[in-house]
Amino acid sequence: MASSTPVLSDRARARSGGTRPRRALTYRQRDAAAGYLFVAPQVLGVTAFVLVPLALVVYFSLHEWNVLGNKFTYVGVENFERFFTDPQIVPVMQATGVFSIGLVFFNLVIALLLAVMLNRSMAGITFFRTIFFSPVVVSLVAWTIVWGFLFQDNGGINGMLEVIGIEGPNWLREGPTAMISVIIVQVFKNVGLNMVLFLAALQGVPRELTEAATMDGANARRLFTRITIPLISPTILLTFIITIVGSLQVFAQIAVLTQGGPGISTTVLVYYLFQQAFLFGEFGYGSVLSIVLFVIVLILTVAQWQLRKRWVFYEN
Amino acid sequence: MKTNAATIAAPVVVRRIAKNQITVKRVLFYVALTVMAVPFILPTLWMISSSLKPIGEIFAFPPTLWSANPTLDGYVQAFELQPFVRQYFNSLYIALFVTAGTMFISSLAGYAFARIRFRGQNILFMIVLVGLLIPSEVTIVPLFQIFSGMGLINTHWPILLVSTFGAPSVLATFIMRQFFISLPIELEEAARLDGLGRFAIWWRIAMPLAKSALAAVAIFTFLAIWNLYLEPTVYLQSPELFTLPQALTRYADAYGGQLWNVQLAAATMTALPVLVVFVLAQKQFVEGLAQTGLKG
Amino acid sequence: MRSAKWLTAAGLLTTATLVLTGCSAASSDEQASDVDLRMTVWTSNEDHLAMFDSIADAYIADHPEIASITFDPLPFADYTTTLTTQVAGGKSPDLAWILENTAPDFVDSGALVPIQETLEATEGYEYDDLSDAATKLWKSDGSLVAYPFSTSPLVMFVNNDLLAEAGQPTAAELRGEGNWDWESVSAASSAVNAATGKAGFVIRDFDYTSWDNLASIWDGWGAQPWSDDGATCEFASDEMTDAFTFIHDAAFEASAMPGPGTTADFFAGESAFTVTQISRASLLAEDGFSWDLLPLPAGPAGEYSIVGQAGIGVMSQGENPEAATGFLAYFSNPENSALLAQWFPPARNSQLNAETLAAANPVLSAEQIDDVVVPGILTGVVRQGHTDSAKISQTVRASLDAMWTADADVPAVLQGVCDAVDPLL
Repeated sequence: MASSTPVLSDRARARSGGTRPRRALTYRQRDAAAGYLFVAPQVLGVTAFVLVPLALVVYFSLHEWNVLGNKFTYVGVENFERFFTDPQIVPVMQATGVFSIGLVFFNLVIALLLAVMLNRSMAGITFFRTIFFSPVVVSLVAWTIVWGFLFQDNGGINGMLEVIGIEGPNWLREGPTAMISVIIVQVFKNVGLNMVLFLAALQGVPRELTEAATMDGANARRLFTRITIPLISPTILLTFIITIVGSLQVFAQIAVLTQGGPGISTTVLVYYLFQQAFLFGEFGYGSVLSIVLFVIVLILTVAQWQLRKRWVFYEN
Repeated sequence: MKTNAATIAAPVVVRRIAKNQITVKRVLFYVALTVMAVPFILPTLWMISSSLKPIGEIFAFPPTLWSANPTLDGYVQAFELQPFVRQYFNSLYIALFVTAGTMFISSLAGYAFARIRFRGQNILFMIVLVGLLIPSEVTIVPLFQIFSGMGLINTHWPILLVSTFGAPSVLATFIMRQFFISLPIELEEAARLDGLGRFAIWWRIAMPLAKSALAAVAIFTFLAIWNLYLEPTVYLQSPELFTLPQALTRYADAYGGQLWNVQLAAATMTALPVLVVFVLAQKQFVEGLAQTGLKG
Repeated sequence: MRSAKWLTAAGLLTTATLVLTGCSAASSDEQASDVDLRMTVWTSNEDHLAMFDSIADAYIADHPEIASITFDPLPFADYTTTLTTQVAGGKSPDLAWILENTAPDFVDSGALVPIQETLEATEGYEYDDLSDAATKLWKSDGSLVAYPFSTSPLVMFVNNDLLAEAGQPTAAELRGEGNWDWESVSAASSAVNAATGKAGFVIRDFDYTSWDNLASIWDGWGAQPWSDDGATCEFASDEMTDAFTFIHDAAFEASAMPGPGTTADFFAGESAFTVTQISRASLLAEDGFSWDLLPLPAGPAGEYSIVGQAGIGVMSQGENPEAATGFLAYFSNPENSALLAQWFPPARNSQLNAETLAAANPVLSAEQIDDVVVPGILTGVVRQGHTDSAKISQTVRASLDAMWTADADVPAVLQGVCDAVDPLL
């Protein structure tokens, strides 16, 4: 180490100072220049691929693009008017809400349950942790295809139900069960991630605290609701936000399992957006739906900041 | 055993009973865990076993976990019906390119936001922050029209560019920034006194210390890109350009009928390698992701 | 602060410029010496593609300005969407196959280049040989904009082994007795299902989503989804209600038709009857079950037949419309049309005969061709199409989903279809 450092610094000196001594910059100036250079790719990238499209989506929402006729025409607020009179919007928003709430609820409850069960040192715990986590690394579409296969009317799940004498529903073709199926597929796909986050949080709960409470005679349930839950509340809030924003982005599962059906019972906002823009060629209306999605995410983000201030007391 | 227990002193008996109760509890606990594991592991096992079934057995009743006459037909057809090797290569190179690019860009930006002071830093950071808040689904419609204007539809460029420079890499920048903030600064100051420039400090001093954060960034970037579905669906139309998730959904006979055994074989080939790597390196996976999740 | 604003402005400007130039730079030089042509198709059958390639090679040999001609197979399931997306992406093919029920979208929008003049002027083309019935769908303002290269009748394939196993008369016997109608097919189907557990009749590719394939049934009731001018929904008509009552009963009461989510492949011996395109005869295994081929059974409104049609159009947003039109004139000339007849029943009157078609379908007997195929093509009507086909198709599908439960109220669901689809007509 001691012998290599001078060599490095020589080389560095030769590179930075030696070749262009035109004007002596102060260290601070050179450092700032490096700072701009370092962040440039990321800042330019976000500008070009997030901010500019975000501005253009407003422009596109005021236009209509007839793809086959090759016409791009200004239509004013027509697409926005359509949004407020579109009879599909209410069911689409309902489907989005039901999916998000169902997903978040089952995901967090199961994740917490698994984390509590696995938060102990017993033989085989690592094995089970691996199993619960494994769907996270299974390719999303592969996972969805297998579940789609299992959910067929004559597929594996109904086959197993029939063995024990139950006639299963036609999962993906009937309104309520289609939504339930989509939620199930997504819950088991990603619950491992939240489980690991909860596990890390549970392991961060100081042992003295729980021991002291046990000495004071608190039972297991009180211990959990009064001590553990508040202590890991920052993690709960974090996973809540990650999961709910993630739930708004669900696309592949819907596209592969139900294509938004039956009826439009599983047509969530992102799928509807995709359908309008890329299947029906309604790019103007698709832009309006993009803006709606953006506003929802914005509201959630602001709500998260407010919640953080009020609800979570134990954040460091 | 029982007669022995009956003859010895009472406190021992109580302890024995307590011990038995603990054993029963323990067994019940493992039974509960095993039952809960079913929906997590069964689909993967079912995928592998069904991919080896002859087409006639796929929907057989009662369902069998293992076929009596396993066949590789599905696997053979997976390569015949689509340019699967090419699609595999597409997914792999796109994921690797984006992962490498993200690691480079996010560690540079993360380092600068954590360590270097320069005018406008907060504004620039806010710009990047916006990238974190906006899901890529919001910008897919305008991006499609932009790339269409540039003639880049049905090429890999939109995916490579947007994933490497746009929203998906922003989370990585945040993780790297948090990591570098938590890193002790003394080593870097010593290097600075030695006359090292910022780039050298970043590359020679900071980066070697950031291996764990970089590994986490690499893992979640790779998984995210490997799973990408909306973007390829929107941007790519030629089968030889498809990525794996997209290709998996296209196994159909000439008129759109679903070929389950072929689809499951292709799904197995897509999922299994990543799963194997995960099992081998699961410690890094789980801890890395827990770390990034907590800090992001 | 200032730099951030500048960056945003510059980025916006650059992207906007690119978008605008991209949109306006559709046309390019026509007389380039190295023209590459691309035709999107929905077949990925290697024999088909090999034949296309051989036709293309012969053309290139005589036309030095053409550097290459590629046939680009797109998946059938979302063919039109993919094609439209390619056009939207500025990657329009030069030529494209077009499905009959999306024809109005392409024919009326100006997406296709008029080709009639070129075809008429091509030596040896015999434009007048094209049948009027076949070209009707592909004319815009009286001028042909796409060549109808495949006119393929929908027919009923029958598995005689399954019928025998269930103790039912064969389809030919039913027909001989004058009972070749949907009621008899449905009854025989129920019997097959009860006796063998196999499926009865299957409307191939319907799969409870591609509802327009049900035209092969409702045409027998004299029903149609909307009026001829496309302005009024007719899903709620009495004819349509009766047709759907029949379909619903067949699926949910008589077990004559497999229910939603159940797959039954006729060609794997899993169903007694299937309605599909004649070209699927190639799926019949040589040593498989005993099968027969019949015209569609009669409905309450009498006998009827339906043809599927496909056109080839020259895309106006392609780079070389003129060169593409030239190639289409060659691809569809009498000689190549006879070659293609091997798989794609031609639109030329002179080639609509048992001789040409027998060469096309070696598994079919001359009798079957004379009896089923030729009359089917000559009398067949095309499934109704409409502009905005993707949106209409999805809207009807979503409303019809309510039909596919055992306790569905058929008239109410059909009224719901009309309520949903009316604003789009």
